[in-house]
Amino acid sequence: MSAVLKPKSKAIVCDGNEAAAWAVTLARVDMVAVYPITPQSSLVEYLAKFVADGRLNAEIVDVEGEHSVLSVLHGGTLAGARTYTGTCGPGLAFMFEPYLRTPGLRLPIVMSIVTRDTLTPQSVWGGHQDAMSVREVGWIQMYCETVQEVLDTTIMAYRIAEHRDVMLPVNVCHDGNYLSYGAARIELPTQEEVDAFLPPPATNWHAALDPARPMAVDPLTGGAGGAGPALFVGYRKGQCAGMQNALAVIEQAHEDWARVVGRRHAPLLESYRMEDAETALVTLGSMSGAGKDAVDAARERGERVGLIKIKTYRPFPVQAVARALAGVKAIGVVDRSVSFGWDCGPLYQDVIGALQFTARHPAAMSFIGGLAGADITTDHFERVIERIRALAKDGQAGETVWLNEKD
Amino acid sequence: MAAYNTIAFKPELCNGCNACMTACATVKTGSPDHVNSRIQIVADEAGFELAMCRQCGDPKCVSNCPAAALAKDGGNGVIEWDGAKCVNCLLCTVGCAFGGIVYNAAAGHVVKCDACGGDPACVKVCEPGALKYLTTANIYREVGDLEDLFVPGLSGCQGCNTELIMRHAMRRIGPDTVLATPPGCIPGMGSVGYNGMTGTKVPVFHPLLTNTASMLAGVKRHYKRQGREVNAVALAGDGGASDVGFQSLSGAAERGEQILFICVDNEGYMNTGMQRSSCTPFGAWTSTTPVGERGSGKTQDAKNMPVIMMMHNCEYVATASTAFMEDLYVKLDKAIDASKRGFAYLHIYSPCTTGWRFPSQENIEVARKAVETNFVMLWEFDPRDGLRLTRSLDNPQPIAEYLKALGKYRHLEPEQVDRIETTLQKNVELIRDLAEGRRPAMAGR
Amino acid sequence: METRYLIVGASHAALSALQAIRMQDAEGSITMVTRDDALPYSPTVLPYVVSGRSHPSRVALQGDSWLAENKVDFIRGAAVTSVDAAARRASFSNGKQIGFEKLLLATGAAPALPPIPGLKDVKFHVLRSLDDAIGLHAALPRTKQAVVLGAGLVGMHAAENLAKAGAQVTVVEMQSRVLAAYFDADAAAIIETAFAAKGVKLMLGAKVTQVSPAGEAVRVGTDKGAALDADLLLVATGVTPVTGYLAGSGVAVDRGVLVDDAMRTSVEHIWAAGDVAQAKGFYDEAKILNGILPSAVEQGRIAGMAMSGDAALKPWPGGVPLNTYTFFGQQAVSVGSQDAGEVVRKEADAKHYLKIVMRDNRLTGIFGINAPFDPGVMWELILRRVDLSSVREAFIAEPQKTARAIMSRTWR
Repeated sequence: MSAVLKPKSKAIVCDGNEAAAWAVTLARVDMVAVYPITPQSSLVEYLAKFVADGRLNAEIVDVEGEHSVLSVLHGGTLAGARTYTGTCGPGLAFMFEPYLRTPGLRLPIVMSIVTRDTLTPQSVWGGHQDAMSVREVGWIQMYCETVQEVLDTTIMAYRIAEHRDVMLPVNVCHDGNYLSYGAARIELPTQEEVDAFLPPPATNWHAALDPARPMAVDPLTGGAGGAGPALFVGYRKGQCAGMQNALAVIEQAHEDWARVVGRRHAPLLESYRMEDAETALVTLGSMSGAGKDAVDAARERGERVGLIKIKTYRPFPVQAVARALAGVKAIGVVDRSVSFGWDCGPLYQDVIGALQFTARHPAAMSFIGGLAGADITTDHFERVIERIRALAKDGQAGETVWLNEKD
Repeated sequence: MAAYNTIAFKPELCNGCNACMTACATVKTGSPDHVNSRIQIVADEAGFELAMCRQCGDPKCVSNCPAAALAKDGGNGVIEWDGAKCVNCLLCTVGCAFGGIVYNAAAGHVVKCDACGGDPACVKVCEPGALKYLTTANIYREVGDLEDLFVPGLSGCQGCNTELIMRHAMRRIGPDTVLATPPGCIPGMGSVGYNGMTGTKVPVFHPLLTNTASMLAGVKRHYKRQGREVNAVALAGDGGASDVGFQSLSGAAERGEQILFICVDNEGYMNTGMQRSSCTPFGAWTSTTPVGERGSGKTQDAKNMPVIMMMHNCEYVATASTAFMEDLYVKLDKAIDASKRGFAYLHIYSPCTTGWRFPSQENIEVARKAVETNFVMLWEFDPRDGLRLTRSLDNPQPIAEYLKALGKYRHLEPEQVDRIETTLQKNVELIRDLAEGRRPAMAGR
Repeated sequence: METRYLIVGASHAALSALQAIRMQDAEGSITMVTRDDALPYSPTVLPYVVSGRSHPSRVALQGDSWLAENKVDFIRGAAVTSVDAAARRASFSNGKQIGFEKLLLATGAAPALPPIPGLKDVKFHVLRSLDDAIGLHAALPRTKQAVVLGAGLVGMHAAENLAKAGAQVTVVEMQSRVLAAYFDADAAAIIETAFAAKGVKLMLGAKVTQVSPAGEAVRVGTDKGAALDADLLLVATGVTPVTGYLAGSGVAVDRGVLVDDAMRTSVEHIWAAGDVAQAKGFYDEAKILNGILPSAVEQGRIAGMAMSGDAALKPWPGGVPLNTYTFFGQQAVSVGSQDAGEVVRKEADAKHYLKIVMRDNRLTGIFGINAPFDPGVMWELILRRVDLSSVREAFIAEPQKTARAIMSRTWR
């Protein structure tokens, strides 16, 4: 365990798992359900320790598996609790049944995905394949670049999830190994700052299972006739509307958070040195630091290259992406996971979808790296920049490039 | 209409000893002369029959009385005769089609059974057990006064006892409850409702088939944290308890979550078309253990869920049957109470008229036969006192009595019946050993 | 005012109908109107009010709380004066009019006064209302000589009460025996003997030819030549259904209000039950007056079910004459018809009497004095037309025991 810190300390050194645990504590979460899994385990241990130390005043439920982790939180949230958990990889796969149901129930649960590559091959290391596999389920997904952003985003996630216009669960994704275990100096907000930012927990306004207001949660809905079809469409459309509403709510939350703590993170996407850029990298999560270094180096060489870091992946900020990339000639999208059906990265798919909304339809290529804990270095990004420089000239997008293939 | 305790008569058990008449006459008049008995056994070639007041629900003796001397007591159901008002007109005897109120020359007025204030003398002396004082109705009366927490018109199969279990359990448990009904017959009959309409008057939800106990744990823990006393109750089928829902059930039991989990065991996935579950007994026909050229019903024994739950050292575990409602209610009360301290598991057998293939009016009789043959054993467990039988396992009826009542066993070969018999004997031995302390049920607390 | 169910009358038929309606319709408005200024009571209890056995304050069949529980608007002291069937409106002696959706006529019967010359010029008693009974009870202590006209149940009860109070009583009856409607001559003889033993003079087969005032008393002249001086004259020569208010209403009246097997009158929304109704008899289809309490209860129930649309309604099986009569500590019971079959057993001595009548091995009547059997069980055997061929001899020998065994096996 990293340095034990005085609660009032403003600056601490910790890893991403501990930062998430601090965020949960500061958010005054009512209920935490936990089950350990690499590389999330230390996060659970921090939470247990914080509860044992009396620092985190939450109901902690040590259950027998991830399926029950999320199920317990379903119950708790339906009773009005502010809830939290974290998982990854096989754990996420095991909780898929309740996971699939969470957004439909409109439960504002916050769950960290300490991203991990999926089986098989057997692997315990980082990669976005787990989170990407559930990107269409209906959870909000935000990807963090730094330990500080893990802490800040986890707190902001409650503001977003519990917003009446949203009412959807949020996954805060931080990269296994790189962010889970990578220690950094971060600013720890005070409790007063967080209290000023977040509404009080357990306000119970979203509690549907309350004997004081009896109702049925999730009766059978649908069917071929009667009231069912329209009712079902109403629920689905409402869920989609909540997802779209989240774009503005996320921006507002980041704005307000910046006002409280004086620290600003890009809410939907970050444009890095994109002024007059002819080519652009598109990144996700912790790889973005190396990407920015590579951009800096290229800029020093006089290359007009920039970088777009996607923070909010679901809902996908289509218009913001289209705007950010409208002026470039070539784009390299770097994924840490794959889309099996398309033989490319999933972020790449989303980006080229957004490019339909640009006038010039810039050329784009998919790059896949960092699978199963592999590093994506500035050298890898140099190769991406070099490749898209050519793409900008000839417009000939080649096949997907596997960055670690020859490491 | 209210139900009341009643003196029941089984003519086939009566041996004509007339001890009941002696006892009644003695208690009521001090003399044993049978002419003064308010219970009259009549003998003829075919056996013994009974003339006695039925304490009718809509008593014609009362409506025929011109003097308001007869009235049905709303509390105990006894039709009471008021000597101060009676005018000896005998019109009550015209109203009674049961020979239950008759002129008694010695007394000089009509006399009738008054149930001895709830402790009838005739029943106490009936050695062959032909007379029984049934007090079950008392429970129904008591529960009947409590609010029914389901809407009318739940659409269960004809003759199914699950609705009875649901309605009575929830009346007893009360409105400060969050109810989980995982997919199966219970929500299938409309308890969670359809398309925005609910079927229950307490908060109710469909959990997943897999996560009932976990969701309830979350609900319960948060209300507890808030200092609110809310019952967390599951009405689940055996599939959702013993198969795919077992992990969350086991986890919640191990953690001692304060939940009342009622497993309504109809020995399979009856709602989805009668597929086998791990609670389906050996030999039983189901739609996934069909009978054909090579198939002959289920080839494995049922998982013994209540014993498995007992081994979790739950705060309370019990088995129950709707043929033994007094026993069921005692256990329900204990389970509700135990669920305020820890995990309570109630396993109630629910013969399935549709899936087990027997006539819909036979449900309670099938449930009774299951118990009387020891196929189902009635017991309860708590960590302090271990396992206790609530009904003797002695003198069971032959298992054939049970098997032949059910279409799902119609195909059984003699060797299959032998195996059922053997398994039954082993199960009986296990429960007997646990009850008599030869095997410890769990490490005590 | 308007009401969903209007019930005129408040005795057995009315109350029984009211209960049946409430079983089916918990909320529909019910108004019950009675001519008496009293809580509901039974005419059958009146002889016991006369004797002092029943105090007038304790004869109410139902009290205010029961009426309130059943949400009944109970109006006392208002006799119905007319019914406008088309407008569905009834008028009452208190000047009120009540509109109804459905109307039950349960107005019972009133004493039938015989056309005896001079009757209107003398003071006499009748016994049909609680007020009548209270008046008669008050007159008992000062009565020395009483004449009772009619040897039916009312007359015989009154004669016994008067005799017990120390009066010299003479009963004048046109028929040749007492209680002719229920008992044959042999049975009546036992009753007559008991009365004679208590000093009651029975003038049977005699007709009153004239009554006239004789000072404070009444002089009663009969066709047997005797002139009887009475300081109390009770006219108990039977009753007749109260139907006068139906004149012009369109409701068909014969001797009583004609009803079908669901107690419906000739008018769609009007039913009748109890002593006022003339319904099918059990032994043939002819409509009869069968003014007995058990019939009133049953007819009221059927009417109430019909009025409230209770699907469980079973039609009226037909009136079976039956009665119970206690006299000087003895019990006479009559169930069924004297002449709807052949007498299969009959025995009579000074104190006991039993007669069984059967047709085609089915019970049609059973009559006894001080003979134990269960009248309700016998009534059921008659109504169900239970075939007794397999137990015929046993039944004839031991009717009570055999009937109880059949009961216990078949409709337990």
